[in-house]
Amino acid sequence: MTRLTSYLRPGMALPLRVAGSVLVLVGALLPWATFVLNDGPYPAKSTLQFFDAPFEVGGFRLHMALLGLAALVVTFAPVPGRGRILRGLGWGAVLVSAVNVLFIAYNGGGLGAVTVADMPAFGGLVALLGGLAVLAGAYAGGIEQPVHLPTGLNRFVAWAVLLVSFAGLLMMVAWTLTAGGQGGVANPYAGAQFLSFLGFAGGLLAALHGAGVLPWISRLSEDHRPFSIVVLLGCALALPFTGAGTDYWMTVAANIGVYAATAIGLNVVVGLAGMLDIGYVAFLGIGAFVAANLSGAVAAKVDITLPFPVAAVIAAVVAGMFGSVVGSPTLRVRGDYLAIVTLAFGEIFVRSAQNNIGGLTGGPNAIPGVPQVSMFGTGFSEPITLGGTKLPSGVLYYFLTVLLVALVMGMFANLKNSRIGRAWIAIREDEDVAKAMGISTGRIKILAFTVGATTAGLSGAVFAHKLGTVSYESFKFLESVTLISAVILGGMGSIPGAVLGASLLFVLPEKLREFSDYRLLLFGLALVLIMRFRPQGLVPDRHRRAELAGEDIEGRPLEETVSEQAHLPTAAPVLPGEARA
Amino acid sequence: MTAVLEARNVTMAFGGLVALSDVSLQLAEGQIVGLIGPNGAGKTTFFNCLTGLYTPSKGQLLLRGKRLPGDPARVTAAGVARTFQNIRLFPSMTALENVLVGRHVRMRQGPLSSLFHGPAFGRGEAAARERAQQLLNFVGLGKVGDVLARNLPYGDQRRLEIARALATDPSVLLLDEPTAGMNPQETEAARHLIFAIRDTGIAVVVIEHDTKFIFTLCDDVSVLVQGELLVRGTPDEVRADPRVIEAYLGKPPEEIEAEVHKGETR
Repeated sequence: MTRLTSYLRPGMALPLRVAGSVLVLVGALLPWATFVLNDGPYPAKSTLQFFDAPFEVGGFRLHMALLGLAALVVTFAPVPGRGRILRGLGWGAVLVSAVNVLFIAYNGGGLGAVTVADMPAFGGLVALLGGLAVLAGAYAGGIEQPVHLPTGLNRFVAWAVLLVSFAGLLMMVAWTLTAGGQGGVANPYAGAQFLSFLGFAGGLLAALHGAGVLPWISRLSEDHRPFSIVVLLGCALALPFTGAGTDYWMTVAANIGVYAATAIGLNVVVGLAGMLDIGYVAFLGIGAFVAANLSGAVAAKVDITLPFPVAAVIAAVVAGMFGSVVGSPTLRVRGDYLAIVTLAFGEIFVRSAQNNIGGLTGGPNAIPGVPQVSMFGTGFSEPITLGGTKLPSGVLYYFLTVLLVALVMGMFANLKNSRIGRAWIAIREDEDVAKAMGISTGRIKILAFTVGATTAGLSGAVFAHKLGTVSYESFKFLESVTLISAVILGGMGSIPGAVLGASLLFVLPEKLREFSDYRLLLFGLALVLIMRFRPQGLVPDRHRRAELAGEDIEGRPLEETVSEQAHLPTAAPVLPGEARA
Repeated sequence: MTAVLEARNVTMAFGGLVALSDVSLQLAEGQIVGLIGPNGAGKTTFFNCLTGLYTPSKGQLLLRGKRLPGDPARVTAAGVARTFQNIRLFPSMTALENVLVGRHVRMRQGPLSSLFHGPAFGRGEAAARERAQQLLNFVGLGKVGDVLARNLPYGDQRRLEIARALATDPSVLLLDEPTAGMNPQETEAARHLIFAIRDTGIAVVVIEHDTKFIFTLCDDVSVLVQGELLVRGTPDEVRADPRVIEAYLGKPPEEIEAEVHKGETR
């Protein structure tokens, strides 16, 4: 990158930016595909020969047009952090056009599909070129220092800003969830449309980040924490009232919620205490099997029927007990060796479940027919009517998982900012010194495993009732790996990061069904790229952000704070407080 | 004077290698004791025995007449804190958090209290933060509490390590080469800081190569050579002792000069 940008001169910035924006805008309005693809017309009139109905442009072409327009406006408007904003918009344009060009070319049988065949169609290439030009223009003009918008606003102004941004976030989530629609036969373009939308959303978010808006909002929400929590919870509960409020999306969202809660639990072990646990999904399995057996399912091996809250607590406790057992080798085993121990545990669990050792898992027959959660006379799988609005079935499970995630997030935040949480982080940083500081490292490490496993057990109980069938197949090694990836992708030790990571990693397979065989390949490639270019994760923990991005904990560049030189006490200072007698 | 810390005939052998043999040391309240000796003399090994990292093969370690437990965490809880020769902070925690970790052993919140953050938790946490901030002020780092430890300048990292050790409310503080790599002003500041710590009633043991620093700082100096206690006494006594000069300090400059001249004239 550095070598490429060295060819750029500041004088080239303005022409490149203008030309790039215009090309993106024009490209969006030109035809993209030279003929109708096998599976029917590609979304949003991409096969129009010429642009003749400007207000009917939709889908990815609308996104391109918006990106181009925004780039053009930013090029001339006096905004701070212009280079950073344009860099984000440029990346967005490049990603959106690349995804669609590649997809059309692949499905249309070659470059002819995006250049000249039955008729000429250069829209994709023009837009791609434009995106690259915007990027080059952004780098040519130089990337500015991060922008810092003023904080410490009047309370009501801050609240209004937060309300608007969280409402925006809610819409963003709903759009992302439904982007491309349900995959499968009905809509063969779902995967491409979803990836294209991700490119657009990513570009937009990067631009907002460049303008200093995202860091600003995150600072504001930290300053007004209780308010933000209430509003965020409200937004999460409002999701069924948006376009995502259908059976299908509610089920997907509830699944994500279960995995998000599990990922937060794993974050305690991996992110805070720094112990790699690659058999973690076993605890989710233990919770699920315990809850299934106590639920009165026909195939259950224990003949008692407990109400869901009781079963959930028992599942959590049992999983927690297994957690402390698995954690006990940490007294002797560290690092890579501990990872192997946890891997072995995960395998032992899944093999035992598969072969029905102990007779509690149903083996390959699984435990079907776990009854739905039922409270106050309402079955959780039923559709409900709330305030005159008819909500789809599964919405109660969605609410349940929102509460679960909120509960787990609260627990995690409390623990992290406590004596125990600091002890975990200290152990992660330097275990010997942690011990020398008086921390009983053994007990504290086992506690981390116990807390993580308890969380997973609780999620497992919800999982069992929501799915109705608990099979060993849901708890294989790949699930553990995905959970770890979610934690690392989102940002180690970061709460929103774990939720975002889990959401992405469990939505993507759902969305990329049509790429079937290439799904994991794409997945792995994306992870490699993110780790290379954003090692701190998507939503890094404040500390890790400071560590890997060269900023202090408040997000200012380092030089401003550290230069304060060793000005030393001239007169001997007095140690306050009593020295211990 | 009552002994706060007493080491009686400590011997530490690693297999056949005897790193410490029969070392005794006494430390009174408010005293600064220096421990000097050439590289490999066993100074850090002695610290590791004192802090429970190693269990001595023979001998006794007593804190106010009670045997020290053989486990680093419990030694710290009993009131012996240390710093490390090569700085070992928690690099991606802030300065304040580093000190708060030191406070761990004097805080009482268990897992449940940490989980639910009740009123008692809030009081304990606030008190710990206040104390940690006081300690940062004390060592002159009051303004950089929010900076990550890894981003602090070298001298500040040394002082942060001391603040972290002080946070455990020790009665004995062990400093392993506190001025290594410091410039003269920083060394001078470190001296002031150690005196200030001593004035609060904490007994201090200092390992140091800089003999000038030791002789102007300590009330009492012990010299370790090859695992054995060679000499013990006041700085003046130790400085004057021919065995120390021979074993540790080398020959007096006049003699070296004379030899050099002899070589030149020859």
